Order: sequence, then structure tokens, then C-alpha cells
Amino acid sequence: MIMNIGAVRQSRGLLGYIFTTSMRSTNAMQSNKKFSTTTSTSTTSSTSKDNELIKKSVFISQSYDIFTNLAIEDWIYRNYDLKNHHILMLWVNNPCVVIGRHQNPFSEANVFGLKSAGIELARRNSGGGTVYHDRNNLNCTFFTPRDRYDRKYNLNLISRAIYREYGIDTEISERDDILLHGKKVSGTAAKLGHPNAYHHCTLLVDCNKNNLKSALTRNEKEEIISKATASVRSPIKNLADVNKNVNVQQLLTAIGYEFLRTPADKLCDGGRELVMQQRGFQLINPTEKWFPGLNELRENLNSWEWKYGKTPKFTVSTTIELKTNDECHNSMKVCVDVEKGIIQKIDLILKGSSEVMPIVSSLIGQPYDENNFEKIVNALKSVSTENVKSVYENGL
Amino acid sequence: MVLCQIIFRNSTNALRRINLPASIKSQFAQSHARSFSTTLVNSSGRKYTKKHEWVSVDEFNIGTVGISNYAQEALGDVVYAQLPDIGTSFRQKDECGALESVKAASEIYSPVSGDVTEKNVAVEDTPSLINTSCYENGWLFKIKLAKPSELDELLDEKQYEEFLKTDAS
Repeated sequence: MIMNIGAVRQSRGLLGYIFTTSMRSTNAMQSNKKFSTTTSTSTTSSTSKDNELIKKSVFISQSYDIFTNLAIEDWIYRNYDLKNHHILMLWVNNPCVVIGRHQNPFSEANVFGLKSAGIELARRNSGGGTVYHDRNNLNCTFFTPRDRYDRKYNLNLISRAIYREYGIDTEISERDDILLHGKKVSGTAAKLGHPNAYHHCTLLVDCNKNNLKSALTRNEKEEIISKATASVRSPIKNLADVNKNVNVQQLLTAIGYEFLRTPADKLCDGGRELVMQQRGFQLINPTEKWFPGLNELRENLNSWEWKYGKTPKFTVSTTIELKTNDECHNSMKVCVDVEKGIIQKIDLILKGSSEVMPIVSSLIGQPYDENNFEKIVNALKSVSTENVKSVYENGL
Repeated sequence: MVLCQIIFRNSTNALRRINLPASIKSQFAQSHARSFSTTLVNSSGRKYTKKHEWVSVDEFNIGTVGISNYAQEALGDVVYAQLPDIGTSFRQKDECGALESVKAASEIYSPVSGDVTEKNVAVEDTPSLINTSCYENGWLFKIKLAKPSELDELLDEKQYEEFLKTDAS
């Protein structure tokens, strides 16, 4: 591990080259009252001497692969000693949908549609709801020790960076979303462990809203009942909607600098002097040599067992019309119980009857997905009230 | 052990009912509380980790695991409880589940080594039990202790309270 961190440090030379731009102008912010407030971050009893010891680094991931980036996050969370070293990782992904740790992908997204559109689906380790990423969405991960975890500090820091760079005024909502003109430009989630924790958030720069919408729309005909964390759907906005000059590369640099010029314990400007004391920017190359064990973490994050198998148990149901003249019994409900991503049970309930009829099917024991559910529904569509019983007795 | 607590509760309730002058009552209550405090501390039988889990072990070496009141307050409203499956083996300090609240997933660490014998299905269905009853109905899982001596490393109630006052942040 120590060797590895050493390797990361060596890469600074490379970064020095990229980030030789001098400190950014501070003109935009002088008059704004929002910058005069200093929020005390810590609930800790740390002294200012402790804070002086804390150095900050900005890591910029060189990967656009969601599973690699989640693996780097996990690697840093597991392996780094963050006591005197706070890290901000900035990363961007190719189009993907990322669900929270305890969510149901089938409730949150059109899983089959994603596959055919070539959009990856990933489950993260943190809580919270589902988000869509593409190359015009910037992700920020703040790594600190658990007792230094402070979402408001991080979000305010981002808000200050956006204002300093572009003069765009954003606010932080009660739900820890960043709002622009009352619409969401950033969603937040966190993972808290011991000794480390991280808070990460998205930042919509110029995301493809149509793709976002279709990726997060599912077939509402099927009802899914589960204890899984549900997303709170919110209207969104891109930063580029109000200022077309906003772009990911520039914003990334601005947030990186804001992180370095802000002391670890309070939201105020330490200026260039503080930036010079920090460890600075580092490009992160996601290789096994730099992060031993990274490939395995990535494989796990990309496995069926993690993405689908971790879905909290759920029941998906829909109503099927039956071919009959009997008005009391002209439809039936089909309920499919899914546990650890696997179909456990298929039940039929005839309208006007309280009897639950479990049915036999070769799909029991198979992974649940929209296609398998459709197969069940299609097989039942030809059924009439009269032969429901025979389905029950003979299986599908 | 539980009995002891009930007796204590009853006695304080009884105290409230007795119609004594306030000064005498408070004096009595104080001395009473003092004499009981040590018994109460030992009587809960819970041992705590510095990560705020508790474990209470019965005569069959089965430990019941939960999180402390301090932890549930810090988490806020728990909306999802991911508990370990029966039969899973853990070493002490292994990650063994997670609780989700306000968009954060907080890891639970096993306070002892052993095999999971039961999980609290009621908490899976109603995670808010952790907030409303973290020491009773809101327990998380039961574990057959592999190394009972590990309990010696854990904090008793009094030590845990001291820890909260000084070290915890």
C-alpha cells in the first residue's frame, strides 16, 4: 500500500505540466455575501494544529469506465490513511445508469432498454437514488476519515467553485442536492465506514437530457413492491443551460483548485498560499500496478451477483385480461417473487377469488429480467378463465 | 438481567407516584439512582465496540447484535437495513451489513467472531425499529460466538459512556 501511494505521488510531475495555469481570478466573488460566511465543518474536537497537518490532494481519474471508477473509489476507501490527507477524486463516465446500494434496478430504470442502447448499469456502494451519467456529467468524491465526513462543507465548496469560475449562483437543498433556479444540478450519496468515509455527488454540466429521461423511464404497467430504497424523482437542469461556457474540463479544474485553496476545517479562502502547501493535482492511472487488487474490485462491481443479485427481494405483478364472458372473473393477477435476483415463485390470483395459485414453470430458479417476466405474461395471455385451473395443475 | 432493569424501572415509576415533598423526593431519587446506577450498568449485559455496535450474550453463547443509541441518533431515520444471511461466518470487525439513512450507507461491523444464527426480519420490514428501539425490538442479528474471549476486549456500558464523552466525535 505504502509503495503504491509512493507511486501515485511520483505522478505529480505529469500533473504539474497540465496544471501550470496560474491561480484563477477571484474577481467574480468579491462582492458576493455568500463567500463571507464561514461554516464550521467539524463536529470534532480537533485543534487548528490538527488541521494544519491535513494535506489535500485532487485525483483525476483517467478512466471513463464506470466500473473502473467505482473500483478506484472503493480502493481508496479501503486502503488510504486519510487522517492527515483528504482526497477529492474527480471523474467522468461514458453513458451509464448508477443505482444506489439498496435499490432495485427494475424499479429505477428500463434495464432491457439500457442494454440495447449500450448504456451500462452499475450498482454503487453508497446509499441514495439512481443517477444517469455521461461525458458531460462531472462526479466528485470527497474522501475523509469518518469523523471528518461533512457533506455540507463539500457541497458548499462546489457551489463556491461554480460561482468563482462562472458567477453562477446555486443553492444547497435540505436533501443535499445542489439546485440551480430551483432545479437539481447535483445529487448526493455517501458511504460511511471505519476509519474512512466518502461522500460523492454528480454535477450536470451538459448532460443529454433525452437520454437521461429514457434511461430512467421504466414500463409502469408492472407494479414492483419491495423494501428497496426508492429514488426521489426531481426536475433537473444543466449548468450549461444558464452559461454555455461551462464545460467539464474547466469545471473540474475550478473545483480542484477550490478544494485546495479551502482549509480542511472551514469554508474560507486560503488563496494561492494554501494551494502551494497542498499535495496538488494527480492524474490517476487505473492500473493493477498502482492499485493492487483493482481488477478484482472492478470484476466484482461488474458481476451479475453484485448488480442484480444484491437487489432487495421484491414482488413484481401485473394484471392480465382473460378471454371470457364471465364478468366477475375476467382478469387475473400474476405475481412473481424474486429473491437475490432469482425468480422464486409465480402466483396467479383470479379476479373475484382469494385463492392464490402457485404455478410451476421452468423460469423458477432463473434470473429475473423484463424478458423473463414478459415470457410469463405472454404464456398466460392465451389462458381463459376456464383453463386457469389447468395451468395451475399442469404448469406453464 | 432484563429483570433487573424492569425492577429498576418499576421502582422509579413507583417513586414518581409517591407523593413526597419535592426536595425529599429528589434526594431520595438521587440516592436511589446512585445506588442503582452500578447495578444498571452491569445489568444490561451489553458490551460495546468503539464503532457503536452492541452485543449481548446469553448462556448458550449466542450473541444478539445491535447498534447503540448514540449511533442511531447520529444516523437519523434508517430507511433500509441490509442484514447478514443465516449461516454466514464473520471474524470480529468484519463488515457484516449496512444501514441506509439520509442517502448514506453505513457499514455494520461484527463485534465478535462467529456464525449468524438469526436475523431480525422485523427490522428488515420496518427499519425504523432501529430508531425507536435500538436495544430491544431493533436488534439486528444473532451470532454463535466462536471466540467468547473476544468479549473481554469490548467496552462495558460504563466504559462505553466514558468513551462517548471523551473519544467519540
